[in-house]
Amino acid sequence: MTEKRYRKLDSTKQLEKIMTRYYVLSRHHRFWGKPINRPLAWVTSGAPVELLRSFDIHPVYPENYGAICGSRKASSQLCQVAENAGYSQDLCSYARSHIGSILRPDLAPMKGLPRPDLLITCGNICGTVLKWYEALARIFDVPLLIIDTPYLTGDMTNRAQDYVHTQLQDMVATLENITGRSYNQTKVEEAISFSKETISLWTDIRSLCKNTPSPLNAPDLFIHMAPIVVLRGTKQAVNYYKLLKAEVQQRVEQRESAINGEKIRLVWDNIAIWYNLYPFFKMFSERSACFVTDTYSGGWAMELEQGDPLESLAKTYTEIFLNRSAEFRAQQLINFVTDYNADGFVMHSNRSCKPYSLVQGVIRRKVMAETGVPGLLIEADMADQRVFAEEPTRNRVQAFLETVEAI
Amino acid sequence: MTEIIKNLTKYPELALLLEEAAYNGSRRQTRWPNYQFFGYFCSYWPEEFLLALGLEPLRILPPGTNSTPALLPAYCCSLARNSLQATIKKDLDDLKGVGFAHTCDTMQCLGSIWSSEYQQQVLSLVPPVNLKAPGAKDYFKEEMLALFHHLSEITNKNPASVELDQALELTNHIRKLTKKLDQMRAHLPSQLTADLLRAGQVMPREKYARALENALPVLEELRENRPTKPLILVSGAVLESNSLFEMIETLGGRVAADDICTGYRHYAEPAEETQFIKDPLEFVIQRYMEMPPCPCRHRQLDERIDYLAGLAVDRKISGAVLVIRKFCDPHAWDSVPIAKRLKDKGISTLVLELEGSAVGGQERTRLQAFLESLAENS
Repeated sequence: MTEKRYRKLDSTKQLEKIMTRYYVLSRHHRFWGKPINRPLAWVTSGAPVELLRSFDIHPVYPENYGAICGSRKASSQLCQVAENAGYSQDLCSYARSHIGSILRPDLAPMKGLPRPDLLITCGNICGTVLKWYEALARIFDVPLLIIDTPYLTGDMTNRAQDYVHTQLQDMVATLENITGRSYNQTKVEEAISFSKETISLWTDIRSLCKNTPSPLNAPDLFIHMAPIVVLRGTKQAVNYYKLLKAEVQQRVEQRESAINGEKIRLVWDNIAIWYNLYPFFKMFSERSACFVTDTYSGGWAMELEQGDPLESLAKTYTEIFLNRSAEFRAQQLINFVTDYNADGFVMHSNRSCKPYSLVQGVIRRKVMAETGVPGLLIEADMADQRVFAEEPTRNRVQAFLETVEAI
Repeated sequence: MTEIIKNLTKYPELALLLEEAAYNGSRRQTRWPNYQFFGYFCSYWPEEFLLALGLEPLRILPPGTNSTPALLPAYCCSLARNSLQATIKKDLDDLKGVGFAHTCDTMQCLGSIWSSEYQQQVLSLVPPVNLKAPGAKDYFKEEMLALFHHLSEITNKNPASVELDQALELTNHIRKLTKKLDQMRAHLPSQLTADLLRAGQVMPREKYARALENALPVLEELRENRPTKPLILVSGAVLESNSLFEMIETLGGRVAADDICTGYRHYAEPAEETQFIKDPLEFVIQRYMEMPPCPCRHRQLDERIDYLAGLAVDRKISGAVLVIRKFCDPHAWDSVPIAKRLKDKGISTLVLELEGSAVGGQERTRLQAFLESLAENS
């Protein structure tokens, strides 16, 4: 009998519990949210949610929902629904899945997301989120709040920070009008404090993977990052990551590895291939290759700045790694390879995410030159499985692992 | 009107403009050896600054081949791939530098690759995406000032001593001339207007202004009095050639309005004329903030759609062709609500996906069917 390769964490039960609770609460928002005046906002993953929490706004994340559609293999059908409505097949598959779920909830996981009272988009992750949320604003005719975070070609500038800060100040006034609540700095600080603690725990958990053997593999990181996205800024997230950290720490102490007989340590770059998450990484784990860290789930490990809450949020959310140059991102990957003692790295050239993917050729070249480890580029899509070619991918993975083994 | 094109030797100013449009700046070193060009990609790049510093703005329009440079995946637009290939082939080495005004995700990445991989001087301008956001104007002013200082540095000029007035006068003059041309285009062959507008982005501006000044009376004299063809609006991003316009004309249509980066949108003035502003820098900022927006910018939710619908009505358009360049996300997104609005207004709309700027057999079939349906409806 083949030994099972994927070792599920015990914390997964708690993860499923809190995520189910979150989605059940969201789905029934109209019953509890309206009476107590807690508007429901659809929010991009890079938006400063701490400010929204201080206004008792319930955030729901269409990107996270896109990942759910992908992992449940519902995306392709939903994407086709969006394409039939005129949206190009070349657009982001999260966005197409989500729009498809609005047009055909009967085909969608959980019958789609609950209707929003407002929309909040922050441009720090891509240009798509603006166009996607414009489309949503036309569909639902609800307020659209935009946070314009200038792309940073180099370091953060005072003008960019001041601009984002001014927008957040204005957003406070808008949210006061929408919610009927006054800005409460103590509540923002409380949400920021929860975020900081969550980030600190997530950073610690990720750092534990510097150990050999690594206690976690990429699927663990992708699955267990869900609360830092959707429950960021809450006590629940803090509690969850305390539990997870304890379990991962225990794995380290007991020298328990994420995969059997770890021989190769790799770094992953880009969003997961959700519809093929376990089979894809099994191609590596069955050859004793473990992904010890990644850039994607690491995107939520950025440190929140000290000081005035709005200034802190302006700086932190503008400096998100996807809003930075290829040089910055190459250095980030070089640090991962070095710090985690990796033997190579794999980049998912993700058709749905141009800002993440189009610079990977340059980054790959730089990281290989700087670290001396090989890097593999695989073309796929994060949610739309129609563009995934399994056999050529398997061949490339095998050839890559043979190269790494030979080094 | 075809007489104009057949007998270009009689009209040297027109011939010059059409030649420049055909070369797309590729022969700049032999045709304009005394000018130092600076490349740019986007209409939000302030030409005024370059001109004030003694540089000639050149919109980078690479040849329409389907390049596949190793550093970019196949799923990005051919404009980005071909431009990168042009610099790999050292076709752009004579430029003083290359400027990226931040637009879409693809151009953001191209700028990053360019500055990381090649020795060429790369300058960036990151305009606000949400032009009506609080603080957007102050931010944009600071960003523009920083760009002006960088440009001054590379031209070894003291920014305090550089006067913008003359450059502003020239660009405003060109915008007024192109406005006249744009208003006349229902009476001119589609490809001719497209070429004349594109020429103004690839040749020395002073020469362009003089040539267009002299060409306009000729065009006025020779224009068709009553256009009988169905009038078409073309909207899209960059089109490096007049291929689409020529095909529309050949198939019996006439482009009477455009909303493309290499067409009239590049020159268009704000809907409400920019008030006289004493400070030239303020004037430049105001102009770029108020010009008709492309899909990469946001003002009011439907401002761009309202603008296009208004343009279509003003120009008595019967059909609109919305060009989506393959893998161009912003235009692909906007094509959905624009098509809906135009159709609601009774304007037939064709969404046409193109790999590059050239149209072929497949596009011909679609355009022919579209134009025939317009003729039947009229």
